[in-house]
This record gives sequence, C-alpha cells and structure tokens, in this order.
Amino acid sequence: MESHKEAQLKGVFECHLCGLTAPYSYYGQKPPNTRSVVLLEESYVMKDPFTPDKDKFLILGSQCSLCNRRVCVGTECSLFYCKRFCLPCINENLQAFPLEIRQDLDKKKSHSKSHPSKNADART
Amino acid sequence: MESRAKKRCRDPSPSRGHQGGLWDWSCPETRRRMEELYFREQDYIRAGSEDSCQFWTFFERLQRFQSLKAEREQAVLSPSAQADPSATPGLAGLPQEYDPRYRINLSVLSGDMEELVRGKRGDRRRGSGVPAERLSQFRAALLHYLDFTQKQSFAKLVKLQRERVALPITQYRDRLLRAVAQNQVVVVAGDTGCGKSTQVPQYLLAAGYSHVACTQPRRIACISLAKRVGFESLHQYGDEVGYQIRFESTRSPATKIVFLTEGLLLRQVQREPALPGYQVLIADEVHERHLHSDFLLGVLRRLLPARPDLKLVLMSATINIRLFAGYFGGAPVVQVPGRLFPITIIYQPIPQEEAAANRKPERLDPRPYLRVLQAIDHKYPPEERGDLLIFLSGVAEIGSVLEAAQTYATHTQRWVVLPLHSTLSIAEQDKVFDMPPPGVRKCIVSTNIAETSVTIDGVRFVLDSGKVKELSYDPQAKLQRLQEFWISRASAEQRKGRAGRTGPGVCYRLYAESDYDAFAPYPVPEIQRVALDALVLQMKSMGLGDPRTFPFLEPPPQASLETAVRYLREQGALDGAEGLTPIGNLLAQLPVDVVIGKILVLGSLFRLAGPVLTLAAALSVQSPFLRPMRPDPDCATARRPLESPHGDPLTLLNTFNEWVQVKSERAGGSRKWCRRRGMEEHRLYEAANLRRQFQELLRDHGLLETTAARPRDSYARQSRHRERRELHQLRRRHEETEGRKRKVLKLQEGEAGSTSDEEGAGGDRSRGIDIQDVKFKLRHNVDELQAAAGTALSSNQLTLLKLVLCRGLYPQLAVPDHYNSCRKDSDQIFHTKNKQGIVLHPTCVFAASPELLQVTEKGAAEGRRQDSQEGLSSRHQLLAFVSLLETNKPYLVNCLRVPALQALLLFSRALDTNADCTRLVADSWLELGVPDSEAALRLLASAIQLRAAWEGLLNQQLEGRCGESQRALDPREVATLRQGLLEFLEHEVQYTLHRLTALEKQNLYVGPQTVAAALGLPGLFQGAEMMPDEEKGGYRVTDFLTYNCLAGDADLYSDCLRSFWTCPHCALYMPFTPLERMSHENSCRPQTQEAPPEEVAGSPAKPSALQRPYRCDVCQQDFMFTSTEILRHRKKHP
Repeated sequence: MESHKEAQLKGVFECHLCGLTAPYSYYGQKPPNTRSVVLLEESYVMKDPFTPDKDKFLILGSQCSLCNRRVCVGTECSLFYCKRFCLPCINENLQAFPLEIRQDLDKKKSHSKSHPSKNADART
Repeated sequence: MESRAKKRCRDPSPSRGHQGGLWDWSCPETRRRMEELYFREQDYIRAGSEDSCQFWTFFERLQRFQSLKAEREQAVLSPSAQADPSATPGLAGLPQEYDPRYRINLSVLSGDMEELVRGKRGDRRRGSGVPAERLSQFRAALLHYLDFTQKQSFAKLVKLQRERVALPITQYRDRLLRAVAQNQVVVVAGDTGCGKSTQVPQYLLAAGYSHVACTQPRRIACISLAKRVGFESLHQYGDEVGYQIRFESTRSPATKIVFLTEGLLLRQVQREPALPGYQVLIADEVHERHLHSDFLLGVLRRLLPARPDLKLVLMSATINIRLFAGYFGGAPVVQVPGRLFPITIIYQPIPQEEAAANRKPERLDPRPYLRVLQAIDHKYPPEERGDLLIFLSGVAEIGSVLEAAQTYATHTQRWVVLPLHSTLSIAEQDKVFDMPPPGVRKCIVSTNIAETSVTIDGVRFVLDSGKVKELSYDPQAKLQRLQEFWISRASAEQRKGRAGRTGPGVCYRLYAESDYDAFAPYPVPEIQRVALDALVLQMKSMGLGDPRTFPFLEPPPQASLETAVRYLREQGALDGAEGLTPIGNLLAQLPVDVVIGKILVLGSLFRLAGPVLTLAAALSVQSPFLRPMRPDPDCATARRPLESPHGDPLTLLNTFNEWVQVKSERAGGSRKWCRRRGMEEHRLYEAANLRRQFQELLRDHGLLETTAARPRDSYARQSRHRERRELHQLRRRHEETEGRKRKVLKLQEGEAGSTSDEEGAGGDRSRGIDIQDVKFKLRHNVDELQAAAGTALSSNQLTLLKLVLCRGLYPQLAVPDHYNSCRKDSDQIFHTKNKQGIVLHPTCVFAASPELLQVTEKGAAEGRRQDSQEGLSSRHQLLAFVSLLETNKPYLVNCLRVPALQALLLFSRALDTNADCTRLVADSWLELGVPDSEAALRLLASAIQLRAAWEGLLNQQLEGRCGESQRALDPREVATLRQGLLEFLEHEVQYTLHRLTALEKQNLYVGPQTVAAALGLPGLFQGAEMMPDEEKGGYRVTDFLTYNCLAGDADLYSDCLRSFWTCPHCALYMPFTPLERMSHENSCRPQTQEAPPEEVAGSPAKPSALQRPYRCDVCQQDFMFTSTEILRHRKKHP
C-alpha cells in the first residue's frame, strides 16, 4: 500500500499525439518490485490498474528515439522496433524499416479508414 | 540470444526435441520444470498463480499460430525486402532482417538462472536437464506473453478513457463546476447512462474539493461506485476513494470521497448535527424517494443556513425536478441528456375476453407472455443477440410465467428462462448475469428489482406487465400490506429504458396506451406508505421538534404520524409530552425496529445478552429459510431438529447457534450445511454482523459489561495471530482473482435452477476457499461466538427469554380462535386486537404443529381438572408475533407462544377488573375469567409488584448509563425480580380466555360514578392510592390497573361472603371477604424491602376514607392511619 502510495506523485503522462493522459509512478527501465523484468527503453510506467496484484506494471509510453516527443505505446501513435518510433517519424523514414513493418502500417492505415481512430475520440 | 530466438521461431515441430528425445510441452512435469526456472517467487509471474495458467494457455495458442505461420512461409518464401537504414543517423543499426522479437520493448532477466541451467561447465544438459533450444523457446514465448499482457491492459486503459469522454455528462463538466462554485445547492438531472454517479464525484475531486460524501439508496451501489470511481481514476487517488455501509468501511483518514448509504449519513447527522466532516454532499438518486432520502433532504435543508460553506449536489433522474429545485429555494438545475438507444413501444393489452376467461383469477395467465416470446422468435433471427426482461408484480406471478416459459423453451431450444427476485439465493440471482449459449436468448422473469437495483446488460426486449406489488402500510391496523398496483408512468419509462442500454430495443406493454396515460405520474413516495415509527424516533432524538410541523419535501399522511407517535408512546419510547424517555433515547440510536431494540435493552437486565443479541440480529434480517417453488421433503427433515416448540424466534436462535458450531468445527462446511437445510447462508452472515454491531452498541451504552478479553496465554495468542495472518493471505489471494467471470448458461439452466447446484456462488469452490467463511473469521471472534452459542439455555433462562421477547413484542399479540381445535391444521385462525381471521405464515413452526397451541391436550394427563366446555384451563396461550404481513391473506410472521394470563397481567397497558377480580379485561379486548378470586388477587398483586420492580430496575439501568457514575444495579434486586417472575409464571390457575365481542366492548365499563359506590380497600394493592377513574368508573390503582370498573357484574355478594379468618401476622380474628382478607394481609405482611408507612406518609397522599387521625402514645406522634395501619404501627412498639 505504502509503496504504491508514495509512487503516486510522479506526474502525469500525456501522449503528444493522441492526448491520452494518465498518472505515472515511475520513469526508467527498471520498474520497482519486478526484479526479473527490464525495459528496453526509458518508459513512463504506472501500476497496472486492471489487476489487484500491486507488482504488475503498465507501460504507458516513452520518447520517440528520433523526435524525442512523448508518445504512448498505442499502435496508432508509435511502434517499437529495437527503439521507440512515433508514427509520424516512421512515415518520414519508411524506407529504413523492414517490409513487415511497412506492411503492418499499410494494413493499419486501411483499417483505420473504415473505423474511426481512437485519436478523434480521445481528444477533447 | 537473438539468434536463438529466431531459430526457435522457425522450429516447425516444437513438441519434438532436437536431440531426438520426446519433448512434450503439455507434460505437467515439463511445465513444472520450466516454472521452477522462470516463475520463481521473485519473478514477475509466480508458479501456480492465475497468471501462470494464463501464460500456458497463451503458450499453446502461440505454438499453434507459429506452426501455421511456418507452413505458410515455407510455401511462399518471398525474399524479405532489404531495408535501407542509412538515411537518418538515428536509424542506423536497425536490424535488417525482421523478427517479431524486435517489437517487444522488455526483457526478462533470468540470466543467473540460465547460467546455472546451461552450466558454465559446458554441459548444456546438466542442471535442469532442459535443452537450450527449449529454454529459449520458452523465454521467447514468455516475452511475447508479457508484451501481450501489456497491450491488453493498455487497450483497457484507452477504452476506459474513451468511454469516460463519451459520456453525456462530460459536456456539462464545466457548467456543473461553475454552478457548484456559485451556489450552495445544485440539482443535476440526468437519465440512466449519462454518467452522473461516477463522474460528478471525480469532477469535484479534480476541481480541488475534498471531504465529499455521496449518498446512495442501496448498499451495493456504494461498494460498486467506490470501486468504479477508484478504477476510472486509475487509483491515482489511492485510498482516497472509499465506501461506508452498515458493516463495512474502507474509509481512512486519507479518504477524500466516500460513498455511503442515506441511512448512515443520517446516523452521522444524529451524532454531529452540523456534519463538520464534509465539504460537499452529493445526494444521488433522490428521485427514488426513499424514506431516508426524503428525510435526509429535510434535515439538510435545515442544516444549510448553519453551514454556508457546505455544498449540496442533488442528483436525480429527470423526474419531478421542479419539486427538488423548489424545495431548495429554486436551486439551479444542470440538465444532462441520458444516453439511450431508440426503443420501439408495442402496446399489447390483454384482450378483455381472455382476461375474463381466466378461470383462476388468483393465478396469472401466462399466455400473453408466451405470445411475446413467440413473436420474438418469429421476427428476429436467433443470431441477432438480445435478451428479454419480463417485469411482473410478484414471486407467485414469476412462478406461473416461469413454468410456462420453460415448457416453451424446452420445446424450442431457443431460450434459457431465469427468475429474479430478492428472496432467491445470491447464487441464483447471479445467474442472470451469465451468458446464454449462441443462438439462445435469456428470458429473465423479474420483479421490479430489475427496474433500478439490478442492471443486466444485453437486454434488448422488455415485457412490462404494468403491475407492481408494494408494501403499503395501514396505520389503523398497524399492518403491512403487500398489494398489487398499476405502476406509475415514471416506472413504466424506467422499465422501458432497460431495453435500450446497449442498442436499439423493443418494449412490449401488456396494457393500452390509454392505461398508460391514466397511470400516476410518479410512484408514491415511501414516506407516504410506510410505518414512520423509526423516523419519528430519529427526529425526536435529533431534536427536530414536532414531526407534525416538520417541513418535509412532501409531508406524510397525518394519520401515519399520529400512529407513530402513539405507538412510540405505547412502547414507552416517548413520554406523555412526546419527549424522549431514557429508553427512547437509546432506541433512537439502535438502527433497528423499536420492538427489537426494546428486546435488546430488556435482555441485558437478566444477563441474557448472548441469546438476546442473536435473536435481535436474526429477527432483523430476512429469514434464512428459503421457500423454494417446490418444497423439498429432505430439507424439511433436515430442518426439523432446529425447530423450537416455543416458536420461530427460538428456531432462529437454534439455527444461528448451530451454524456457529458447524463453522467452528468444520471450516467451510457451513455452506453445505446450509444448502442441505434450504437456507441462505448469506443472511446468517448478515445476522452475525448485525449481532456484533448490537453488541458494540450495547457496550457503548453501558448496557453490557465490557468483557475484558481474557488474557490468554502467549501460545494461544500466537496461534490466533498466525491464524489471522493465514486468513488475511487467503483473502488477499481471493481478491487478486476476484471478479466473477461470466459463465455460459446451459440450455436447461432455468429448470435446474431451483435445486442450486454445486458451483453456485463464485468460482471459489474449485480451489476450496470459502471467502465468506474467511471474512467471517476475520471479522468475528469465533471462539467467543461459539462459547455464546454453545451453552444451552436452562429452562429458567428460556422462560425468561420468552418473557423478555414477549415484553418487547407487546402489544403484538394474537389469540387463537375459539374453534381452532375443530379446524384442520392448515385452517387455524387467529385474531389480534384490530384484525381478525389471520393465519400463520407457512414457515411458522405452529403451522406444522398446531397441537402446541391447543389447550385441551396433555393438561388432562397431568391430572388437572379440565373443563373444556367452559373453557377453563391453566394453559391458555397467546401468540406474540414480530410482524403482520398481508399478501393474499393476512399472516402472522415469527410467532412465539406465551402463557396468556401471565403475559396479560405483566404486560397489558390497561387491566380492568371487577370487584373481586375474578373478571379481568386486558387492553379492552381479552377477557380473563378466574373463578378462584383469591388466586386471582394473589396473581394480580404479585404482577403489580413485579411490574414495579422490573420498571424500576430498567429505569435505574437506563439512567445509570446516562450519568457518569456507572452505578451498577443491585444484583440482589435483579435476582429477586428474576425469581419472582419465574415463580409467577409457574402459577397454575384455572381460567377462561375470551375475546370480547364488539357489543361486549361497548358495555364494558360501569362508567363515571358520582359517589364512590364501592368501598375502597386501601391495603389491597399495597397501599397504592386509589383514585376514582373518571372514564371507566371504578378506581385507578396504578397507571395500568383500574379496579372494579367492569360493568354487568354483580359485586353485591362480595360483601356478603365474609368468613372468619385469623391473620397469621397480627393474629387479628375477624370476618373477611376474600378481598378484605387480601387487603389486610398485604398491609400486614412484614416487608423488609418496603419503606415503612411513616415515610410513605411524607408523600402528598390524600387521606383516604378509611384513615383517621391517630396519636401514638409511645412515639408521641400524630398520624393518619387506617385501622390495620394502626395495628401494624402498634406492633412496632412491643
């Protein structure tokens, strides 16, 4: 209880792209109480609010390795391929990524055309 | 590391090892070995946890997916296009060849373990004996799993926020906050689904308000809202969101917002009238117009001027908003549209000829309901999901529609039919949330519980009977009546709305549109249809003055208030000036019915606190005994040993005690024990909680000695400590896996429904944890409970307990009908003072064994003279009952049998006699005929004495607790009273019991007399002053006894029948009538405890006719003495 309480007051994470906001309790690569897990990027992390197990964490987002903007881990905002890239940066450097990633993005694009993207909804 | 992962991914047959040996991932031994390596105590996933199960499921799916993918890729082996990372410096070093592994942003550090496994000594097979390929395969799967769980939780987060933003109230956030800032009272009006209950508290918190209380009409809503708000705010407020209900509280000093019941907030007002602990009060669901809600608004309206800093937000559906806004001086209204999908209304009134053709009008005709099921089957293809919710008025109606619908369901295989009402077990109620199999619809047949209290998702069709059964209160008969009414338009709309929560819906109404238009606009507020005793008592204790002039939102009927005041006076809670008596003051603080509260107070006097606490608790919750649609003979047999021949309250006592025994003997076995007896265990848990609360209340009020927990030896303390720690662990583990997963219903579910199957409540059974049992043991000191439950009552204790109960229940008495002995068992009828022809509730022990109430049974066997023709017996009995309920018939609920003569003598508010006391009338409705005048007088005299002593001790006890000097009662006096009462009850006197007819009642009294016609017998009632009664005639002896006021009785001969008699005390030899003899004897008997008459003379007593001046030569004093007093006085100077 206490550990999670003092972890409360870290700050609020906000995604630069979709505007998602959530309080985070840790920033870094080694969230507390999770000895065996390390993160491969410096991330904004909160306690997973969807499980009562207080050692479970949830990664909210991190900085794009190219433009350094804070982005959430949502697939419409960023992707991770050895490093974090925000979608606008990927689109600018599409050729640098393997085919699988490009195909993935294409798929998503056609998908998000038929469905309204979360961005529109989540932004107020 | 990465290359290994790659190799594993391409492995087409993961189940076969490269070394040629068989490698089986599904083998439990294999899994165990992997878990030992990766799911250690300090790892993110722990072996044996829910998480590890989910991992293995995921693992299997991943393997299937990968082997499929490998096949496909082998078929079309397209050369992967080379990426060109040279363009931007930040992109240098990205791997050329794609691998899904690179998409995962976390890693598992189990290097130490792996080194151990692989063995630095170079032998890769030693250590765990797991081949490295397998290890890396597992590792990669683990990473995928962790990535997957991250994505899952993140998606939930996004969804949650999206949903919050999409709520209609979001648009009104700023307007609302502005209104709250500028006004003391704001009304938020919004319909179902607008999000007001969850969002408004969060808005206020985010805007910087703290100490927010949000009241709810239902306990369950407090818990679920606190959870929901905590969840939605992502627990960023931590334990700043809490709830508080009767037995549970998550409130802490850090709590900024608390959800609590209306009743609880009222209790807080009672303690601290200005509610200093709150900054903002939100009263939710005020449109439901519950008694507490209405009253709370009244109290708050008075409070607001005194607390100008306090903010009040009323939240309501868009019903009658003007009433609320107006009540608070035109408070601004923020109106929020609801979010409902369009609902088509189909009016389908039952054709008149069909209604008329119904042969059994008491039984609901299910055909109109079946037609709707058929119509849905015809019109909508089964793959279009959507369930049906039927609203009926009561349990019997549910039964008949259920039966017919189930037959139809068996035939079509397209429906699962489920009942829903509050007397079902919790497990059965929960079934309505389960999912039907594909192509099958749920049909939930419900009372109006589903209108507001229970929300079931997925309902697309609503079928509304338009009827509701409501308890209405008859203040004249003081009777609860369950009657069927048409619903209001507001209820009809609420019911309709249940079809449009998740998509467009259809509402079938079994009435015409013209009927709808004729409905009342709103339901009758509770305050206008229930007993107001508790309300009036609470108002008195809050110092709100005369309830008749209190500015209610809408005032209750004057008659209800009058009845309540009169009742409280009768019960001794209010005095003649309608002020609180000491006992009333205490009762006001007990959150129970006045009657039950009285029993609690009374019981503590005779050291019966244990059983009385249990009884009071068990009587305050719903009966644990379920009444299934089809009675189960095994159940009845299993229940029999619990049944008490004395009555239902004692059956409840036995049941609770037995249950506690079972709980302490076999942990967790109580659930089965209850099921076998057809009992709802939950109610016993509630009773246990309530019992504890009563115990604390009595202790707080000094009515129960604080049993300083016996200092246990350190071993016992340690083991208790250890036990508690284990219990805490169990509970935590349960909470981690909480959240009952929805199950898929079986097609025949409804039919098996009534015999509640093994996996009833929660999914805990599989793991053998009974979480209720764990909570119970954490909350209660089971040893103490068991000790209280284990000691059997002695027969004296039982007798006293019955007496205490009866005194508490008085005047709720019923007399058996004169002709019951000639009636069939099931036709036994009873009468109360105001109501005739009442039957026993079918659950009553006397309904099954009416012989217990019969007068002419074993009495004769004891050799007693029985004259049944004249109705003479020493064994007449009355029933004291806890409540009177009228449904299709009036029923007595929770009955206790008591000896008639003694109960009436001890408890009657008015006792009228003839001249020789052979005829007594209790409370102007029951007549007792005692042919033996002397015996009658003796009993009457000791009744007077006992009543005075009892009353005196009780007042002493209640006053003692008020003063600081906790002056203990004289144990000798209590023992004397106890003994006296027991002896009194053992008296065997032959008497008749007769209920007065209306005509007899009219001519009952002689009426006011101009002269004192009958001679007063001063010593008859121990020197009590006898005043002529101006209404009834005769003499008032005590506040309840009026002597010689009964008409139609020739009291002539009482004077003539004198016979010579020698007083054993003073040796006076004279002719006496029996009365005179009693009178003399009473005044002559040397009484050590009685104050000598000299001192009594100090009180302003008017000289009675028989007193004359007397001067004692020995002590040189003047007195006013009667002749016997003179004799007595002389004896003092030997």
